[in-house]
Amino acid sequence: MRKALTIAAREFEEKRFVAYAAVAFAILPFILGVIPGISGKSPQETIALSSLIFATTFAVALGVMTGASFVGRDLSDGRMSFYFARPVASSSIWFGKLTAGILMIVGCFAVIIAPAWLAGGSSWKGFSTIDLGNMSVMILTTALALFLIAHVIGTFARSRSPWIAGDFAAAVVCGVVIRFCIQPLAAGQALDLISKLSIWLSIALAVAIIAGGAWQLERGRTDRRRNHLALSQFLWATVGVVLLITAGFVAWVVSVKPSDLTSKMHMSRSTSGPFAVITGETRWRDDYRAGFLINTDDGSVTHVDSRADWAVRYTRDGRSVMLPRLDISAHTADLLIYRKDLKEPIDTGLSLSAGDFFVSDDGGRIATISRSNILSVYDVAQKRSLVSVRLPDSRYTRAFFVTADLVRLYLNAEEATKIMELDVRSRDLRQTGIIESKTFVQFYPDASATHMLVKAQHADVLTLNDARTGALITTLVSGTNIRTARYLRDGRIAIVDGPPSASVLHILSAGGVAQRDIPLGPIQWMTVVGDDGTRVVLAADISPSHRELLAVDMNRGLIERRVAIMDWVPSGTFDPRPPIEPLREVFYGDSSDHKNYVVAWNPATGAKRRVT
Amino acid sequence: MTDNAIQISDLTVRYGRVLAVDHVALDVAKGSVYALVGRNGAGKSSLVRCLLGQMKPEQGKSTLFGEDAWTRRSTLMQRIGIVTEEADAPPEMSVAAIARFCSRLYDKWDQSSVEARLRTFGVPLTSRFGSLSKGQKKQVSLALALAISPELLVLDDPTLGLDVVARKSLFEEVIGDLADRGTTIFITTHDLGGVETFADRVGMMEHGKLVLDEDVDALKSRFRRIRFAAQPVAIDTTVLRPTVMRSWGGGSEAIVSNYDDLAFERMRSASNIVSAEVEAMSLEEIFIAIAGETSGGKS
Repeated sequence: MRKALTIAAREFEEKRFVAYAAVAFAILPFILGVIPGISGKSPQETIALSSLIFATTFAVALGVMTGASFVGRDLSDGRMSFYFARPVASSSIWFGKLTAGILMIVGCFAVIIAPAWLAGGSSWKGFSTIDLGNMSVMILTTALALFLIAHVIGTFARSRSPWIAGDFAAAVVCGVVIRFCIQPLAAGQALDLISKLSIWLSIALAVAIIAGGAWQLERGRTDRRRNHLALSQFLWATVGVVLLITAGFVAWVVSVKPSDLTSKMHMSRSTSGPFAVITGETRWRDDYRAGFLINTDDGSVTHVDSRADWAVRYTRDGRSVMLPRLDISAHTADLLIYRKDLKEPIDTGLSLSAGDFFVSDDGGRIATISRSNILSVYDVAQKRSLVSVRLPDSRYTRAFFVTADLVRLYLNAEEATKIMELDVRSRDLRQTGIIESKTFVQFYPDASATHMLVKAQHADVLTLNDARTGALITTLVSGTNIRTARYLRDGRIAIVDGPPSASVLHILSAGGVAQRDIPLGPIQWMTVVGDDGTRVVLAADISPSHRELLAVDMNRGLIERRVAIMDWVPSGTFDPRPPIEPLREVFYGDSSDHKNYVVAWNPATGAKRRVT
Repeated sequence: MTDNAIQISDLTVRYGRVLAVDHVALDVAKGSVYALVGRNGAGKSSLVRCLLGQMKPEQGKSTLFGEDAWTRRSTLMQRIGIVTEEADAPPEMSVAAIARFCSRLYDKWDQSSVEARLRTFGVPLTSRFGSLSKGQKKQVSLALALAISPELLVLDDPTLGLDVVARKSLFEEVIGDLADRGTTIFITTHDLGGVETFADRVGMMEHGKLVLDEDVDALKSRFRRIRFAAQPVAIDTTVLRPTVMRSWGGGSEAIVSNYDDLAFERMRSASNIVSAEVEAMSLEEIFIAIAGETSGGKS
């Protein structure tokens, strides 16, 4: 220790001119502060800002220059034998020189900044939201990091050894490994975890360089090539171990299972198919989010992008699901198709940036609407665009494939909702109808997209309209506090209305003729989940703190069974028409022992099973 | 306890494909003066670096006072004074600052002796080390090396850059004096004339190998130059081994490496040589002869 300090003192003595330069840079801001043309209205701010700039530049430059020379230069100039001819351990030589380098950087920074800080008062707060203490820590951390990195590069470069090619290769390999470690965490939106991992890697690298410096002088002593070799071997071996641990940790993080999802969960499911997508934060993994595609038929689980809930689409036939695979910047996403009959996903070759997309009933075609209102239809099998057209401006667009060759669009504008159709074969886009309404219009077409239910926002009227032209056929309900309405799979219509204390489910024929009224009791909010031909399932808020799924037998006219739930898992078809396949199971979120999980509930039998 | 200050066994140093030191073994007894000679690139400096624990040999080891030079270097350096081939002190430091720095690293340090020696050498204490001449730098190194009254003094080509007067002073006054006081000295040099008077043992390196390791007296006693009045003279090589044979004026001369008086007389009677003059040789002459022999040059 005493000898290390002796060496540190010698280094200071040799480089005392650096301290003189720091003093000069400490005075310079005060000179700038009194020059009228430079200081402007606030001399104190000029002093503060210029001293910060000088201190930062000085510390960083000193870090690089000292780092590159404090050992490397002695080795290349053959002066290291001066120390090794003395009764002093190689570790004392290293830590003495290292201490001197670090204290010089920190000391010079302090010398430059301190007078301006004492004189500046509150003017420091004028040009940064970060306080001076934190700013100083950041600047000095950067300068010291550069000091250590410059030492490594200086030692490698000054040895003039061909081994430097191996170092370059090792650095590239480390870079690639780090990228592979960060990439899945970035995909898991784990910014906090990435930040912690970066700190861990930085500390490990700093420790590796500091310990490596001691090792290089112990093994290499006065020979610059042997110093290089020793540092290189130690550094890359240590970094290799650190990266191995990191990779192992990342592998553990990404090995998450659906049962590890704990909070901030998002889930959607195919109404009639087996697929469900669930994303959420995970247990013991900080802010890492995971995404899973679950096939509830066979219980298989596939890891998918944790941001998949951003744009998941299920086909109406229930056989396919389309998921985005976002790039690391999350600006674009490749669209993948998972099919029931295939183990591996199909890359559609389609890349999405922003906007919306929807799929045909069988998933064979994808249509995208860009931010600039360009509608493009893409054939998945052929992997090519079939047609692109510009749509008229609208506030909101709802669209679906009526058939694989026909796209129907509902464009909600200021005064009306335009109904348009795009014939993919002829590439003909034409307006087929209009619904006049100054407010937002909700519409629910039937399975064949021939008719639709229309309800304008804030209007208590539900009408039956022609889905292609928008022409009114008949008014179904009016002034009854309409809550929700949907077509059922067989073409019948389900409407819920009435006051919250006594809601009623009405079953109507396709033509709008009332068939059965079923009292539901007090319900604050509800939506139609689906039907299996016999029973319709409703998700309902009975009270603000109590939510239920209700299976209503349409033939017998009663609530057949009900189950209390935490959250209903919505269908992700994004298609307003009823599904092709009958509803088999309804998914809902539940919790016990502070653990959240998903349950599949069969409305026909009342059977429940854990999905996650 | 070993009686040797230095023990080198099977020492091998390699730089890539170049074999700098090739399985060298030598011992230096305590209190003796060992001079290692050899041409530039013979491997002397590499051997010295290993000897001082500044380089790990590929094979073999060197011990100082019975302790491994590589693993015990920092402890051993308390007992060893070193003058390196190239002046290695920081050039920005003054001579006084260097002396002050060194004094803090050693358990015992005689500052007055440093100052006295530098005064003798005429080196100002306030001068920057980098501004000194090559010879002055060597003198500073020597003054520092002697400040600890070393048990072993290692001098790597100490006369390099010294003028004739300084060289004479170094050998006669400093090294000679230390040798008389029982300090072990290991010196590598090209200046054979300088070490001849006080070296006890001498080694010679050629292409990394130690081709000679012998007491100086024994070496000098077995080498003789024999001058013959007539030429050519047939020497019975089973009796005397000529290292060099050449014509000389009207006669010829031979340098033999296994001379003894009886053998010479036997050979003279057998060969009927009437006139022959036997001369002792200096170390320098012997080494030139050996260098010629090891490089295969006979004339």
